[in-house]
Amino acid sequence: MTDRVATPSPRRPWGLIAASLVAVALAAIPVIHLVVRVLSADPAELAAVFDRPRIPLLVGNSVLLAASVTLTAVALGVPSAFLLARARLRWRGAWAVLAALPLAMPSYLAAYGWLAWQPSMKGFWAAWLVLSFVSVPYVTLPVAAALRIGSTGLDDVARTLGRGPFGSFMLGTWPQIRPAVLAGALLVCLYTLSDFGGVALFRFPVLTTAIQQAYSASFSRDEAAVLAVLLVALALLVVIGEQVARGRAARRIQAAPATGRRRMTRLGPWTVPGLALLALVPAVAVVVPVAVLLGRVLTAETLQAFDGVNLAQAIGNTVLLSAGGAVVAVALALPIGVLAARHRGRMVRGIESAGYLALGLPGIVVGLSLVFFSLSVVPALYQTALVLAFGYGILFMPKAIGSIRSATGQVPTSLEDVSRTLGNSRARTWWAVTARLARPGIFAAALLAAVSAMKELPATLMLRPTGTDTLAVELWQRTDISAYGAAAPYAVALLLVAAVPAFLLSDARAGREATREAIAPDARAGREATREAIA
Amino acid sequence: MSRLEVRDLTVGYEGGPVLHAVDVEVPHGELLAIVGPSGCGKTTLLRTIAGLLRAQSGEIRIGQRMVTTHGIHLAPEKRRIGWVPQDAALFPHLTVAENVAFGMLAGRGSARAARRAAKSDEVRRLLDLVDLAPLAHRAPGQLSGGQAQRVALARALAAGPELVLLDEPFGALDPMLRADLRAAVRELLRAEGVTGILVTHDQAEALSVADRVAVMRGGEVLQLGTPEEVYRTPATPWVAGFVGDAVFLPGVLHGDEVATAIGRLRAVPVADAAGLVPEDGADVTVLVRPEELRVVRADAASVADATAAHRADADRRADDGALDGIVTDVEYTGHDAMLALALADGVRLRARVTASGVVPRGTDVRVSVDGSVLAYRPEA
Amino acid sequence: MRARRGILLAGAGLAAATLALTGCTAPEDDAETLTVYVGRDESLVGPLIEQFEQETGITVEARYAATPELTALLLEEGDRTPAEVFLSQDAGALGALADADLVTEIPSDLADLIPDGFTSTDDSWIGVTGRARVIAYDGEQLTEDEVPDTVDDLTGEEWSGQVAFAPGNASFQSFITALRVLEGEDAAAAWVEGMAANDPELTENNLASLDLVNTGQAQLGLINHYYWFRQAAEVGADNMRAQLKFLPGDPGGIVNVTGAAILNGAADDDAARAFVEFLVSEEAQQYFVEETFEYPLLPGVDAPDGLPAIDTLVNPGLDLSDLDSVGESQQLLADNGLI
Repeated sequence: MTDRVATPSPRRPWGLIAASLVAVALAAIPVIHLVVRVLSADPAELAAVFDRPRIPLLVGNSVLLAASVTLTAVALGVPSAFLLARARLRWRGAWAVLAALPLAMPSYLAAYGWLAWQPSMKGFWAAWLVLSFVSVPYVTLPVAAALRIGSTGLDDVARTLGRGPFGSFMLGTWPQIRPAVLAGALLVCLYTLSDFGGVALFRFPVLTTAIQQAYSASFSRDEAAVLAVLLVALALLVVIGEQVARGRAARRIQAAPATGRRRMTRLGPWTVPGLALLALVPAVAVVVPVAVLLGRVLTAETLQAFDGVNLAQAIGNTVLLSAGGAVVAVALALPIGVLAARHRGRMVRGIESAGYLALGLPGIVVGLSLVFFSLSVVPALYQTALVLAFGYGILFMPKAIGSIRSATGQVPTSLEDVSRTLGNSRARTWWAVTARLARPGIFAAALLAAVSAMKELPATLMLRPTGTDTLAVELWQRTDISAYGAAAPYAVALLLVAAVPAFLLSDARAGREATREAIAPDARAGREATREAIA
Repeated sequence: MSRLEVRDLTVGYEGGPVLHAVDVEVPHGELLAIVGPSGCGKTTLLRTIAGLLRAQSGEIRIGQRMVTTHGIHLAPEKRRIGWVPQDAALFPHLTVAENVAFGMLAGRGSARAARRAAKSDEVRRLLDLVDLAPLAHRAPGQLSGGQAQRVALARALAAGPELVLLDEPFGALDPMLRADLRAAVRELLRAEGVTGILVTHDQAEALSVADRVAVMRGGEVLQLGTPEEVYRTPATPWVAGFVGDAVFLPGVLHGDEVATAIGRLRAVPVADAAGLVPEDGADVTVLVRPEELRVVRADAASVADATAAHRADADRRADDGALDGIVTDVEYTGHDAMLALALADGVRLRARVTASGVVPRGTDVRVSVDGSVLAYRPEA
Repeated sequence: MRARRGILLAGAGLAAATLALTGCTAPEDDAETLTVYVGRDESLVGPLIEQFEQETGITVEARYAATPELTALLLEEGDRTPAEVFLSQDAGALGALADADLVTEIPSDLADLIPDGFTSTDDSWIGVTGRARVIAYDGEQLTEDEVPDTVDDLTGEEWSGQVAFAPGNASFQSFITALRVLEGEDAAAAWVEGMAANDPELTENNLASLDLVNTGQAQLGLINHYYWFRQAAEVGADNMRAQLKFLPGDPGGIVNVTGAAILNGAADDDAARAFVEFLVSEEAQQYFVEETFEYPLLPGVDAPDGLPAIDTLVNPGLDLSDLDSVGESQQLLADNGLI
């Protein structure tokens, strides 16, 4: 640890910075497209958009919804993660899978299911309920991962100093998981800002619904662009806020030990409330809407002849396209994530922030910008799977950054030093050591991008090869004409397909291993040390 | 021919240099310890030698090869060095044997290649060397700290380096293990004929393990010499205080004697970094090692002094400049003891005596100095 | 770990495979292939297109999405669009494309098939079907007589909190435009202001408005007529709580049209012309009547059973081409905080 303060940083990683800049430039296509459109629009027309009495309401609603959904997701996600990672729990693996399951649920499908059951649901509370519960896993998963590698040493110290269990947790464990909480909250917040399906179905007017109206009623892309720029501005504030908060957390966490003992909490009288919490989230986000939709299958008179081939094709398209999107997303996110994990400074922060911005935009805006981009640059590939997968990559790259950043950050740089001195080049070291050890995190990043791509609709509608239907497209086609019966098989298929990455992300196995490890290695190392000392 | 030569090395970044004009030379097969307090630049020096950091200016030569000169920077993977970091940094996805094997892959490191190479005789030989053959198939997480460091050393040696760099490898171990491992490392390096550099903040470790010691402070090497040179003739009062217990007294130099609160002592003036030697009549700082103080009970019924060797001439100088004092505290360590003394005129000293010569607290004693002392120009 | 690696590799491999496959199967542009953007539901239009393919041997590459998205897409693509024909759910979208000079004139022998008032005045697009604005009412709480005969009454106290409509919907905005044209700007402004103050239930689309009436959350909903018929087909007409009241002669009861346009790039394309011709053929018009419960625009084809004749709904004082001042209507809605 000596000299850490005064150690000069190694040479600027120009290769990494260049790769990151390319990724950021690609990710910034939607934002650049918007800004260009706004700048080239008639200023009077733009001014008229801002003069509307409804604009403050729309911005206010967007902010209110994003803030309340984020807080709720954190409030539900952190205790859920604690239960999964630190409590003595029966069927931990099953609970972990259930906790991740809402990831597979598109907000529009959840909203649709709830509406089918409770048609009177509308406005803020309805949107808040569904969006909050659907996005809880964005907090639960990273926080549970952080808890699995953290230690309870400081909690124990705090307990001996007279703090209660909650106070000790805040003093000892909270600083260790804070970056994970912030990363999750960032995704939830941007996701909520950009969501259209959920808020539209519950008739809660926000910026995204206004953008959609601008396209649908006035066919005014300028007006939509102005509203979208407002959304980008909000997203920018959120991203900067997260970076500031993370910076502070990072400085504070220096003092906390990275490794050490983990104590598993016995729940005792808290067992029932704890399990109730773990059951509540998937119940609200998944079980209720799916049950209602399945119920509709049985009562619908239009249950058309079920087309198995069509469904199978849609599943195949969905899996292939989202896998392609995930590969692109990870390829774009890797340089940014690695850069953010290994280097500091204003430029690095700027690159990382820019990487996140597109996540705050609704799919239709991103889709249109990619239409423009692909027609201008690679017209031959327009409306091919390649461009769509690329579009998914740009849309969901931000979801991959965080996971890659934290996974890379957890690989000690001393391992890289050793590999270099043993004759391995920078590139080989990265591949054989860093990437190898960060692999679970990189894989998780790919899964997160894939599950998001499976649910994506607006950009898919524009960029897909003509005649190529994904499950989300098929579902949209059937819900739009209120053919509940026909929609249900696709809804269930989408949920099941998306549940596969969600299942892998839940890391049910890691949960079990964590339990074992929490007891085993320290004890074993201790025995070895004793034996060695004696010998 | 020296194995490592560092000349006029400056390393730094925007905030200013971290190393200024450092010169270090290590003869073939020797172990150099770099010692200094936190933030002195010792780890920076080691990382720069390894090529993990870039130098602003200066030269580094390993064997026949210039690895850093005039802004030319040979990548760490091409320097043929072994690196043993503080945390051992074993690859967690490889077993003990595979970790060692990873060191032999010469730039084609991968988990698969390591698995294959782990079965080779060379890996077995290296594991035998560090006495860990039975643990070959363990995962790093299942090793104790000392075992992990031995694996790290074997891995560093596996590449057949000209130079092994050890960055506080014993820092996280308990004292008993440290001593054992220290001895094992030195033996191993000698046996393999490898030149080594060990960074440590523990001066006792540096003096005991190394052939030569470099003392660093504030990005500069203050002194480089054998452990005895560094301890016996420290280049500055600070070095003296850092490498061992020291008593400093103000004094005035008169020819080959210096006048101090404990009388006139025979003195050797020491040149400072700029080559300036204290002049006659100048104020100086006098260094006395606690073991150079002779402590005798005031009643003179029994004599307690620093070493048995001094006992013979104790009587001859019994009343030669000795002063009255009282023992205010005793730190007993088993093989010897440290006495805290207060002289009649208020000067406080610390004296080391053999365990058999311990004087109880409150005893009146007479204090004198054995041999000559060093006189430094006072530090600014 | 090993299993995961397998999955990862498989995923990457699959992805590469898709990209390779679909790269090869990009639509080729030969005479026998026609690319149509369809802003209507695949389940409704799909069978019709199949029929066209069988009859002509032309392969249709149909891209389905909602009309607004496709319009935005066409505007973004400009003249580089692969689309040759656009089948739109409303006239406004077609007008927007015409304003952007993206469409070519419909051959006059086709354009003349549709009576004036139901198609464009400059032949930039052609009307295909008609859809009437109606009031859906809660049949459990109201009788048809209790439902107003004109939208003018909806600003009254008794309907406060009871009227559902979708202010962002193009059909609704056409109605506002008709209101302005027929009753004058002041009267229209007063109506919008009155509705905005009457605690309306604002929805995203007609279907949502209908659902509110069907579930008793709103007594009245301003919608297009065929939404009711489609839902009735899903759940059974007897199970429909909402009922319809047509408003002959009232601005709230005007007939909007769906239509088709030929994009510039297909100006001389026989397949495009054949497709448009097919849309206004007796066969296709009959299909729309039976499957979508919309009004046929081709003279001689009968309207769906149970609908008042289209002539009775047409307001003699209104020309559809007068409905292009949608911008002012939107401004009016925006000024009153409705969009």
